Formats: sequence, structure tokens, C-alpha cells
Amino acid sequence: MIEQYIPLILAILIALLFSLFLLKASSWFGPQRPNPEKLSTYESGMEPVRTARERFSVKFYIVAIMFIIFDIEVVFLYPWAVNLKNLIDLMGFFIIAEMFIFIIILLAGYLYLLKKGALKWD
Amino acid sequence: MTTYDLIFYLFALIILVSAFIVVAARNIIYSAFSLLFTFFGVAGIYVLLNADFIAVVQVIIYVGGILVLIIFGVMLTNKITEVEIKTESFQVLPSIIISGIIGGTLVAIFTKTNWKVAEPQILDKTVTEIGRFLVSHYMILFELAGIILLVALIGSVMIARKEKLETEEVEK
Amino acid sequence: MENNSIQNILESLNYFTPELALMLTFFVLLLVDLFFRKSKYLLPAISLVGFIVSGYLLVYTPDVKGFLFSTGMTNIGLYVIDPFSFFFKILILLAMIYTILFSLSSKEINEAGGNRGEYYVLLSSFALGMFLLTSTIDLLLMYLSFELVSLSSYILAGFTRNVKRSAEASLKYIIFGAVASGAMLYGISILYGLTGTTNLYLINFYLSNQNIESLPLVIAGLLIIGGIGFKISMAPFHFWTPDVYEGAPITITAVLSVASKAAGFALLIRSLKIMFIDYTATNLQSSAWAILSQFKWNELIAGLAVLTMTLGNLAALWQSNLKRMLAYSSIAHAGYMLTGFVILDNQGIMAILIYFFIYLFMNLGAFFVVMLIADKLGSEEMEDYTGLGYKAPFLGVSLTIFLISLTGIPPTAGFVAKLYLFGALIKAKWIWLAVIGVLNSVISLYYYLKVVKNMFLRESEIEYSHNLGHGNLLITLSLLIPTLLFGIYFKPIIEFAEQSVRIFGF
Repeated sequence: MIEQYIPLILAILIALLFSLFLLKASSWFGPQRPNPEKLSTYESGMEPVRTARERFSVKFYIVAIMFIIFDIEVVFLYPWAVNLKNLIDLMGFFIIAEMFIFIIILLAGYLYLLKKGALKWD
Repeated sequence: MTTYDLIFYLFALIILVSAFIVVAARNIIYSAFSLLFTFFGVAGIYVLLNADFIAVVQVIIYVGGILVLIIFGVMLTNKITEVEIKTESFQVLPSIIISGIIGGTLVAIFTKTNWKVAEPQILDKTVTEIGRFLVSHYMILFELAGIILLVALIGSVMIARKEKLETEEVEK
Repeated sequence: MENNSIQNILESLNYFTPELALMLTFFVLLLVDLFFRKSKYLLPAISLVGFIVSGYLLVYTPDVKGFLFSTGMTNIGLYVIDPFSFFFKILILLAMIYTILFSLSSKEINEAGGNRGEYYVLLSSFALGMFLLTSTIDLLLMYLSFELVSLSSYILAGFTRNVKRSAEASLKYIIFGAVASGAMLYGISILYGLTGTTNLYLINFYLSNQNIESLPLVIAGLLIIGGIGFKISMAPFHFWTPDVYEGAPITITAVLSVASKAAGFALLIRSLKIMFIDYTATNLQSSAWAILSQFKWNELIAGLAVLTMTLGNLAALWQSNLKRMLAYSSIAHAGYMLTGFVILDNQGIMAILIYFFIYLFMNLGAFFVVMLIADKLGSEEMEDYTGLGYKAPFLGVSLTIFLISLTGIPPTAGFVAKLYLFGALIKAKWIWLAVIGVLNSVISLYYYLKVVKNMFLRESEIEYSHNLGHGNLLITLSLLIPTLLFGIYFKPIIEFAEQSVRIFGF
């Protein structure tokens, strides 16, 4: 059983090592001639005005919550969807109704977000 | 010690060390990032238990969602530059004693107890079984989960919309 | 087999109609709030209709002969409908209907601005969660409905967000609640590891046929009792109660102190009775139940009950805020009611049911009068209530009656409740517990009467005139009359409780 996961572990390891390598590679191979201009913060050519560590707007939080909730919806959808044919054979179209109810419940949440203006970014 | 055991202890070590950093780190951001490794370690344990679907869900939801939420939560509650976000420990000795007692009891339980051992079933795809249970036996739980998610959504929007509501009232 | 399972589910839905009605109410409220948000009375009216329809369906649901939602490998499902759950569902519906009525005249709720819609939406999901809690027989469903109840009540407790103490209440509630549900989940996982099932009946079957070590069982039981104890504010899990009750809008405080406590008690009694009673050694009709294994949980609950009522009463003595005092008093009442469960027979359960039914009226009444006065006065401090008995005689007298009933002095209903409870204790030879209960009632007399003394025996110069509307008058009367009537004519409650002690299957 574990053997199945060896490629996965290898992929993770390679990704990790390769990205670490790329991070360091430029400093290993590239020429380094620093001057104060080069070392200052680069912000698309603009002068940096303030510190970057500012308080986030609470709107990000709503987006994050929304993301999690619809993420969980997808997680529920997945085991249903991958063997839909099998399930319909076993239990008929009842299971489609079930999933529709579930989706409608969460769709009501989406409607709520829209109507309450939680997605407006002003 | 088999490879299986070795992998298990590797993941257990990751979980324990990162979880310790979560509670011990001085800076709350470090705690949040350390939690990432805890979640990954738990996902690894799920894989060892043949619960592949749950492991993927763990990565998608906890690492991809909950952790981002926690980091957002940290970032929106404090001005990081002005106020140092620190977690300080109080009452170290009593808490060590109490958690030592609780931990000891739990260890005693887990090592001594005669757990009910299920027949090892090797399933090719756990997803199929999960899907079948979700729509048949646990159908009511499935729909209830939808309602709980909806309530959570309503609640969070209600709490987070604070500033806007006040401006609305001023305009009236 | 699978087709059979759909048949079962569809059939079960016939018996599930009260819950379905609540679900529908939840959705209708949500959508109506989104699309038509003009009228002030529309949402409360819809929720009232929803609750009443649910009650109607509840009364006319036919008697079930089996478990609901049973499919697949076991014949034991997730849900049961029995007289016991019926009793608590009626109680919860009554409390919810009163809460909606209270909210109509509550200043806090009506001035909350654009969020009034969510208030009613969340109240209906709260009711749905409690309904599920009263009849669940599966640990998974139990945990999920526990979360639904908790989530709704966290948000409701912080409903008036602009008030600082309300936000504080909500935060404290969430933190304590998260710990409690985490502990409960841990207990559930240990129990599952021991027995390999989440169904209460199968757990019982397994525990009585297999030899199980007592330590893990005790720990699992402790954790589960702790989780449920949080809901019924049992000591030592009561720390959130005063802060949350004080900070939450008073309508929510009222519903938390009655409905959510009722659901918690129903869950506690049902789960412990089904899981940890040895049915082979028990004559279920009259005599005491035998306890399974070495886990003497009734002695544990006896200790916790004493702790709960004593702590609640002693802390209530020092309170100057009326809402906070009522919070501690509700902790104490949870302690009294827990003693009924210690006896381990149907008499004790019956006494709890009687107590709860009466507690509903007197506690809601006390909170309603406090709400009416506080809306006018802008304060819940006892000092501000001086001389109120002469300036608002009707409210003063009503509050006095409710408080006397909470103490348990005849001829009010509270006396009958305590009489049955302590009577059952004495009959079952738990005399020391009864004595402690009576002593605690004597202590409680002091703080209840302090309010009365403030209202009637002291003069004040505060200007206060109260023009009680017809509606509020009727609501107060509808709570006041049962409180007095059941003190004299209590036969119907006794009969209702007697019928309702029967828990499905055993």
C-alpha cells in the first residue's frame, strides 16, 4: 500500500530540492556588484511610500471564509461525483436530488453574500 | 522496525515538533506557519492509515484554507509594526503539572487499552465507499453539514460587516 | 439492499416533518430577508408561523415503530422519535415562540439596524439544532447538531455588536464552546475506539457483552459529560455563563437559559441512559436502573450537581446586576435538576421534566420583566430598581411572583417542582443530596428577596412611568398565570411528564 506513494514522495522531494536550488543558484552563478540603488526595495519602479506590514482589511477575511466554505462544498461533491454512475445504478435519481438540496443550501449562502454586498470592494 | 514504522515515526516527529513550536513560539506568525507542518504531518498519518481521500482533504482544507484564514486573522487584528504580537506564558508550573497528569492518563489509556480492532480491509478506492455512505446512511448528516456551513457563512459576514453598517447608519 | 435503504429514508422523512418545517422556515426567512426587507413584523410573523406549524406537525406525527434513517449494514438508524423527545421539543418550541414575542418589544433587537433578518434566521437554525439534539442516537449526528446549536448561539450572543459587552460575551462563548466541543469530540473518539460504532444502542450492546477496561470508559464518559455540561452550564464548565448571559441581548439570554439548557439535558439523559445502563439487570418500569461496568457516573453527577448549585447560589449572593444574578441562579437551577438524574430511575427523570416545564415559565417570565424594565430604565443594576414596586406595580408584582417561584415557595409552581424533585430524592434514599438542595434553596431566598426588598421596601426619587402595551401585558400574563396556576393545579404537568419519561427502545 505504501509503495503506491513512493512516486508522490519523490515528487515532493524533487520539488523541494529544485526550488531550493533555484533560490540559491542565482547567488552562486551570477555576478554580484551591489550598489545602494540595487539594494533598495523594488516596487515596480515607484518609490516605496510606507511600510508593507499593514493591517489587512476585514474584507479579506470574508473572502477567506467564503473560500473555505465553498472548498468544503467541493470536497463533499467529489466522492459523489466520481462514482455517480455507480450510485445511480444502485439508488436511482434520489441521490441527485440529495446533492441538489445540498447545493441549493450553499447557493442560498452565495445569494446572501451578493445581496448583503459582502463582495463589494469599495 | 519496518519501513512502515519508520515513516510513521517520521510523521509523528514532524507533528510533535511543529505543534510544540505552535505553542512555544514567541511570535504568533511563527506559530501560524508552524501549524502548516502539523497539518501536513497529520495528512501523512492519514495516508499511512489508507485514508487517502481524507489525507487530500486535510491538505486542501486545512493547509489551503484554514491556515490562510488563521494568517489573515492574525494580520487583520493587529498592527504588526506598532504592537508586538507576542504570546506569553503564565503559570508555567501548574500548567505543566496539569497537562502532565492529563497526558499521562491518555498515554496510559492508549497503551494499555484493549482497543477494538477492525478487520483490515484494503480498499482500492476509499472515495467510492465514502460517497456511498454520504448519500445513503449519513444522508441527513450530509444535508446538516450544508446548513452548518451556511450558518457559519451568515455569522461571519454578519460580524465582519461591522464598519460598513455604521457608515450606513450615519448616512441616514 | 440499496433500494431498501431509499425506501427507509423516504419513509423516515414522514416522521421528520417537524424538523423539515424548521428547515423550511430557516430558508424562507433567509430569502425573505434578502428580497423584502421593509416590514418590521414580517420576519417575526414568518418565524412564529414556522414554529407553530412545526409544533402542529410534532403533535400529529404518528408514533414510530422503529429507528429513523436506518440503512445498510445495521438496522439501527440515527434518529428516534419518542415521548421523551416530544416533551423536550414542545418545551423548546414554547421557549422559541416566547423569544420571538419578546424580541418584538425588545429595544436592543429593534435598534440593531440592518441585521434584524439574521437574528430570526439564526433563531430558527438554533431551534433546528436543538430539535436534532433531543432525538439523536448517533454520536456523529449528536456532534454535528451540537455544533449547529453552538454556532447559532455564538452569533446570537454577539448580536448587538456595537455594544462592547455583547462582543465580549460572544468571544468568550466561542472560546469556551470550542474547548467543550473539542473535549466532547475527543471523548467520542475514545468511545469509538473502544466499541467500533457511533450508535448509542450498539455501544451499549457492545459494552454489556464485552469486558472493557474501566479507565478509558471513565475518561470518555467524563469528556462527553463535560462537553454536554458546557451546554447546561454545569460546574466546573459554567464559567462562561455569567459573562455571556450578561452581555448577550436579553432575549437571547432567556432562550439560552431555557431552550439550550433543555436540549442539553435531553441529550445528557438520553445518551447516558442508553449507553451506560445495564438492561439485562434492570427492571425498567419502576425500580432503579443498574449501572454498567465500574464507571459510577451517577455519583460523579451527584458531586457535580452539588458543586453546581452551591457555586451558583453563593456567587449569586454578591451580584448587583440583575441579569448576572439570574445567570447564576440559572446555574443553580441546573444543579437542582441534575440531582434528579442521580437517582437512576424514572421517578427522577419525571421530576426533572416537571421541574423543566415549570422553570420555563418562571425563568422566561423573570427575564421578560427585567427586559421591559431595563429597556425603559437603561440599566439592569439592582440599585436602580429601588421603589419600582410602587411606580410600576404590575411589573413589580409579576417580578416578585416569578422570583418567589424560582425560590420555590408555595403557592407558586416552583414549589411543586422542588417538592417533586426532593421527594424523589428522599424516596430513593439520597437524603444528603435532598438536604443540600433544600439548604441551597434557603440561600437562594436571600438574593431573590433582595430584589423584592429593593423594589418595595425602599423609597426612591427616580422618575419612572411605564406604559405597558397590551401585547406586553398579555405576554406577561401568559407567563404569570401558569406560574401561579401550576402551583395549585399541577395534575396535567405530572401526567404529561409521566407519559414522557419513556425513552425509545427501553
